[in-house]
Amino acid sequence: MPDLLESADASRRSGALTASPPIPRPASPILLCEHVSKWYGPVIGINQVSLELRPGITGLVGHNGSGKTTLLRLAAGQLRPDLGRVQIAGQDAWSPEAKRHLGYCPELDRFYEEMSGRRFVESMAQLCGYARREALRRAAVALERVGMIDRAHRPLAGYSKGMRQRIKLAQALLHDPALLLLDEPLSGIDPIGRRESVELFLELARQGKCLLISSHELEELEKLTDHVAIMAAGRVAAVGTLGQIRELLDDQPLSICIRCEQALTLATRLLEWDEVVGLDRYDHAVVVRARNPRRFFQRLGQLVIEEDLDIRHLETLDESTQDVLGYLLTKR
Amino acid sequence: MTAPLLHYRAWQGEFRRPICSVWPIARVALCVLLRRKLFWVLYSFAMLLFLMFFFGYYLFAWAESRPELAKIQIGKANPSQQQVQEFFRKTRGILNGGQDTFSVFFSYQGAMVIVTLALAGSTLVGGDFASRGLPFYLAKPISRWHYIGGKCLAVAVVVMLMTTVPALGLYGQHAFDDWEYAVNPDYFLDYGLSRSPAGLPLLLGVLGHGCIFAVVLSLLLVATASWMRRTIPLIMVWMSLFFFLRLVARLLVEGLKYDVRWRLLDLWNDMCLVGQWCLSIDHEGIRPLPQPEYWEAGVALAGVCIACLIYLSRRTRAVEVVR
Amino acid sequence: MFIQLDHISHWYGKHQALRDVSLELESGRIGLLGPNGAGKSTLMKILLGLLPPSSGTGQVLGRDLLHAGIELRRLIGYMPEADALVSGLRGADYVALAGELYGMPRKQALRRAHEVLTYLDLGEARYRRLEEYSTGMKQRLKLAQALVHDPPALLLDEPTSGMDPAGREAMLDLLVRLGQDHGKAMLLSTHLLGDIERVCDAVVILHEGRVLCHGPVHELCRRRQNRYRLLVQEANEAFLDELRLEGVQVLNDNGRGELRVAVPPGWTTRAFFVLADHHSLVVRGLQVDDEDLEELFHRMVTENGTSANRPA
Repeated sequence: MPDLLESADASRRSGALTASPPIPRPASPILLCEHVSKWYGPVIGINQVSLELRPGITGLVGHNGSGKTTLLRLAAGQLRPDLGRVQIAGQDAWSPEAKRHLGYCPELDRFYEEMSGRRFVESMAQLCGYARREALRRAAVALERVGMIDRAHRPLAGYSKGMRQRIKLAQALLHDPALLLLDEPLSGIDPIGRRESVELFLELARQGKCLLISSHELEELEKLTDHVAIMAAGRVAAVGTLGQIRELLDDQPLSICIRCEQALTLATRLLEWDEVVGLDRYDHAVVVRARNPRRFFQRLGQLVIEEDLDIRHLETLDESTQDVLGYLLTKR
Repeated sequence: MTAPLLHYRAWQGEFRRPICSVWPIARVALCVLLRRKLFWVLYSFAMLLFLMFFFGYYLFAWAESRPELAKIQIGKANPSQQQVQEFFRKTRGILNGGQDTFSVFFSYQGAMVIVTLALAGSTLVGGDFASRGLPFYLAKPISRWHYIGGKCLAVAVVVMLMTTVPALGLYGQHAFDDWEYAVNPDYFLDYGLSRSPAGLPLLLGVLGHGCIFAVVLSLLLVATASWMRRTIPLIMVWMSLFFFLRLVARLLVEGLKYDVRWRLLDLWNDMCLVGQWCLSIDHEGIRPLPQPEYWEAGVALAGVCIACLIYLSRRTRAVEVVR
Repeated sequence: MFIQLDHISHWYGKHQALRDVSLELESGRIGLLGPNGAGKSTLMKILLGLLPPSSGTGQVLGRDLLHAGIELRRLIGYMPEADALVSGLRGADYVALAGELYGMPRKQALRRAHEVLTYLDLGEARYRRLEEYSTGMKQRLKLAQALVHDPPALLLDEPTSGMDPAGREAMLDLLVRLGQDHGKAMLLSTHLLGDIERVCDAVVILHEGRVLCHGPVHELCRRRQNRYRLLVQEANEAFLDELRLEGVQVLNDNGRGELRVAVPPGWTTRAFFVLADHHSLVVRGLQVDDEDLEELFHRMVTENGTSANRPA
């Protein structure tokens, strides 16, 4: 039985090592939001948000009501900002030219239920402005990419949630846009379909597209990217990689769990360090609260080598998106 | 999540039989309907009609006794004193608390009921189908017939409130007119049907007529509302069921002189016919002629009810409780 | 015994939704996993007594599936995935109606509705119309209407769908407490493996109408002694090459320094640190890489998938 990981990695090993989100950034951002504010009557939607997105995957996280959907709709050119501007590839997002660079996969699930999936995607392709033959071709390519080519002839009314998500994705990919906005793209899809979608997104990112994915499913998001934008109360609370954001939280020392046979020795030595703020000892494990993580891990490595420690488990307990979100968004 | 001291508490108790869930379903639907102002506006019109019948009797009796009131002029028309007196007498004859009173009352009030049900249909029933609330009901320990029964009960209560309850008021008005009821123990059994004071057969006739309306209209409305969930389509279908079919039937029978049985298309007429049978009204006395036989109308209504039940059975079965 | 199924099969016309499903599950928190179209909704309908199976017999909490439909729906509180709302009602009325439909007397149902809504943290919101509820509130409301009559078992369909991370945490916490402290049996059907890992002790995997495996998660997932997950920041090609020279297979590299490796026998973890030190890199994470639920699921489905049938 082929090991799943090996087969998935074989293609990557043959190519470059750093496969997904390439670090070197081109000059101009694909999506540019400059001091954007939007309110609905008296209710503030987003409040002076500035965001620059370059090719790669960016996650958009935040609680319900934090302005994620508003930001996505502004980026998709469906709303006009009350203050500030939104530009896609240099064009104002409201203009039709900008829409050529944009593929939007909304959270809403409304279709013409009697149409077949294929017919729907073909109609969307024709709406993009392609001649009929070209539209049919592009529709077929898009359906192939999302893996719906064999099931698209059935009417949409009978589709499961996952299949509807794929159709939405297909219609977003028709004109091969540079910017893809995805609102909850993985909800309702079973774990296998999820894996396929994750593969697809990574592939698109490799091709140089910029994806902005808004999702509540933080575990899946962590598989895709560690570059996130955290929103709260209509503002962008933090943008960057999780590690960077975590480091910003100075007053929250990292909690690191180390399991090793020689726990007592480890504990004794660790307590002597400046970086270590606190330490909890369990049977064969130690949970350390440490500042200055970089220095800590360096010293830990050297300690392991010197004392010949047999480390069974080394994990930062509160570095996940979930925890960072929790720290950033809870009132102290 | 909550204050740490407020733990979850278990519940022990006797569970009631599924049939007891019919009333809560009806009650909840009625409460939602009764909150709507439009319903109360329509109900007040219905009450106006009742008051007309109630006080009309006294009004016309008094008017008949005043010959000088017979000199009236309506626009250019100047009816003679004779004609006006005749008019007062005839109307008082209708309003006298006999069979004809109730027959006319039900048919007038029925029009009001039909309009109200058209507007109430989506609140009472259609809402569940539109907002996909049906799985909520069907996932409970009740069968779908309990659900249908509950909804029909709600509609039946609305119909009864507008027709039978006022009719019973009218009955009471005439029955207790003559205060012999306090003295004669056989008061209600002695007298007949054609004039007041009324007897037991008349009372049963009134109740029967009301029940016919309630049963047929409730089944029809629940079936139609489960097909057309939103208000406007429901109003259109409902109105065409009654007004349009009525026109077609009249056209066919009176205009084109087809067989009288074509009048059975007119559901409204069928209901009135069966009601008139309950009230023991003479078949030949009904206007406009020709009319189908009473039993034919009964069979037509029974057929409609069975069709509605079959449709409802299939409609509720088709709901996916687990998607 | 919570669920006992004996050769249950079900056909919709020519399409076979369930093939010969036989299960014996003790009371506890059980996860139901499967791709779309695997027959999960058919199985749930059968368990709720809404659908008599085409063949086979079964019992849930001692009641027969074929004959005790109404009794089953009283014993199992069902929390649907879709919004099953009755428009025009307020939160408390809705839950009280659910109580009355379950067979509770009216006043008891009302009292209990308020109690359950307090427990689920729907304080002032219970006096508002259902149309005004947010997704998180709707999910809690659905759980309230399933719990109002204190059923011995719960059947939950995607309980955390659409909820933000904080709400999800709270809901899962609640489910664990209901299962552990109050002894409720639970069957949780969801696509979010994180939920199942958090809440459930046992899992049932369905695919194409068949039960692929069932049992406690830790028994089903394979232990792999020679696999590790390594987190090395800014790992470079040289480091990986040296790893490979030492006989370590780099199975996966996600480009952000997370490596999954298979080590040769006799390897000590200290060697990772040594190698990292050679290249001036820092090891930030090290874990034994046992099979997790996602890999188990994938393994089960690929091992037993009969056709090229792609799920949704």
